[in-house]
Amino acid sequence: MERIRIIFAKEIRDNLRDRRTLSGALIYPLLGPILIALVFTVAGRTVLTQSENPLPLPVVGAEYAPSLIQFLQQNGAQIRPAPADPEAEVRAGNYDAVLIIPETYGKDFTAGRPATVQLVLDDSRQSAAPSIRRARRMLYSYSQQLGSLRLLARGINPGVTSALAVEEMDVATPQSQAARILGMLPYFIIFSVFIGGMYLAIDTTAGERERGSLEPLVINPVGRHELVLGKLGATLVFTLVAVIETLLGFYVMLNTLPAESLGMKISLGLGALLLVFLLTVPMMLLAAALQMIVATLTRSYKEAQTYLGFMPLVPAIPGLFLALAPVKTKAWMMLIPTFGEQLLINQVMRGEAVLSSNVLISAATTITSGIALTIMAILMYGRERILFGRQ
Amino acid sequence: MIEVMDVHKSFGSIQALRGVSFRAPDGHITGLLGPNGAGKTTTLRILYTVLKPDRGSASVDGYNTLTDAREVQRRIGALPDAHGLYPRLTARENIRYYGRLHGLKESELEQNIDGIMAMLEMKEIAHRRTGGFSHGERLKVAIARALVHAPRNILLDEPTNGLDVMSIRNIRAFIRRLRDEGKTVLFSSHVMQEVSALCDRIVVIGRGQVAASGTAEELREQTGQSNLEDAFVSIIGSDEGLER
Repeated sequence: MERIRIIFAKEIRDNLRDRRTLSGALIYPLLGPILIALVFTVAGRTVLTQSENPLPLPVVGAEYAPSLIQFLQQNGAQIRPAPADPEAEVRAGNYDAVLIIPETYGKDFTAGRPATVQLVLDDSRQSAAPSIRRARRMLYSYSQQLGSLRLLARGINPGVTSALAVEEMDVATPQSQAARILGMLPYFIIFSVFIGGMYLAIDTTAGERERGSLEPLVINPVGRHELVLGKLGATLVFTLVAVIETLLGFYVMLNTLPAESLGMKISLGLGALLLVFLLTVPMMLLAAALQMIVATLTRSYKEAQTYLGFMPLVPAIPGLFLALAPVKTKAWMMLIPTFGEQLLINQVMRGEAVLSSNVLISAATTITSGIALTIMAILMYGRERILFGRQ
Repeated sequence: MIEVMDVHKSFGSIQALRGVSFRAPDGHITGLLGPNGAGKTTTLRILYTVLKPDRGSASVDGYNTLTDAREVQRRIGALPDAHGLYPRLTARENIRYYGRLHGLKESELEQNIDGIMAMLEMKEIAHRRTGGFSHGERLKVAIARALVHAPRNILLDEPTNGLDVMSIRNIRAFIRRLRDEGKTVLFSSHVMQEVSALCDRIVVIGRGQVAASGTAEELREQTGQSNLEDAFVSIIGSDEGLER
């Protein structure tokens, strides 16, 4: 036990002086929270411009349709003088849309014929889509409103022109909409689990052998299990720091960002946060032991870095499916290490009730696999070939 | 005291050792001399417990390297062929790590470190990180950490390889001093001059077997040659170990 502590303390001290290890444990874990924050601020800004800002709309021939212009203004359009060449300006992206009212408008209008107006727009431009949609909607509703008035004036119920009355019921609650974005979070947490201790795992195994310090180390009266456990412990500490950092990052971001403006309610309380943390703990042992084994089997530091760099992508595969096509949580899924945890973390974040039996099954499976891998690592270090590496 | 009895060791189809036997008594410097690939490093690795013999046995102070590996590890200080340091730790931290692993407590530990550092004249580099050290400085740290627990038996694998003349002289003086303290010193070299300059007893290894052993005087008598160089060539059957 004492020797495990000595090895553990040395690896921690040594790696605190390593920039690579530190960036793995301290900077990469912030990627997730920062990315989510970016998504939120960008999405939030788009929503704001849509609903609250006036819609600037250049109009050619505004003088031919004063009542239409008045209607547009009442509905949030800001009528601007039109540019000389509307089509070119819209194509260049200087305006989202330009309305052209021809001279014949007044004549057609009084005659009760459909009066033509032109909306110049670029349908291929994503950022213009909200403005175009708003302009269209205003024009249609003006058209509909006047049409109804004309029917009424002729003694006809305007309702007869509508054969269908379609009502949409959006069952997405603000919370479940938010959960779509939150669906990405479990993966970022797993990413932290696999990146936090990665460089330390490499440095203490492949790195130790590469710099030729493994052979002299094992000449000391140290059991191979003490060696593995000390190094594993140090890896775990860095992983732990990374995960805590990610979770706190999410907590701060989700609770300070103007998520309400999105029409979403995201709540990640301290209780949920703690539960999520507890769900990640079994994965840490699994990740650390797996990293240690893989790094030990490689020929060099570089090779280890390549393999371990891919490792966080493996648990990401089910996670990605989860984000795209949410599945219903079933008990057998808990038997897959890291997948079960992702489902459970997802549930916690969606504010759903989590079955304690599922938590137990998932934690037990992952911990058992972690312990099995640890034993494997110890056995590996008992072999003489491990000292000299694959030749 | 170190004893090796009929040790065999193979790696796959390659027979590295084919029955090596010798003794390294207390208070003597014993040299393991042989050309590259003769089996010197393998013999030492078996003695310092990182390799297991296929047949035969090796012991240190009567403790078997296979069955009493932990006790052997406590009684030896070994400088392996690969003796990498931790570049982000200072010289003193590198040495302290090994001392702690040997179970030395703080006051005794610091005292031992001071002692060994004084002997190796490495006071100025004590608090520098070893990352930028020269070959000679790195070797001193590696020797100091191997001997920080004041072991009775010292195993050195080619300790003077690649050193400049001054450093070699210092290391030789250091090894003699260990001998004079009554310790068992076993060191390997492929350079005959190195061995003849330092050793009380010489074990000549060739192709995984002990070709001859004894004092320089005895080797000359055995071969009927007047100087050690010719004796060595006639024992090994080549002049491979003589370049310098």
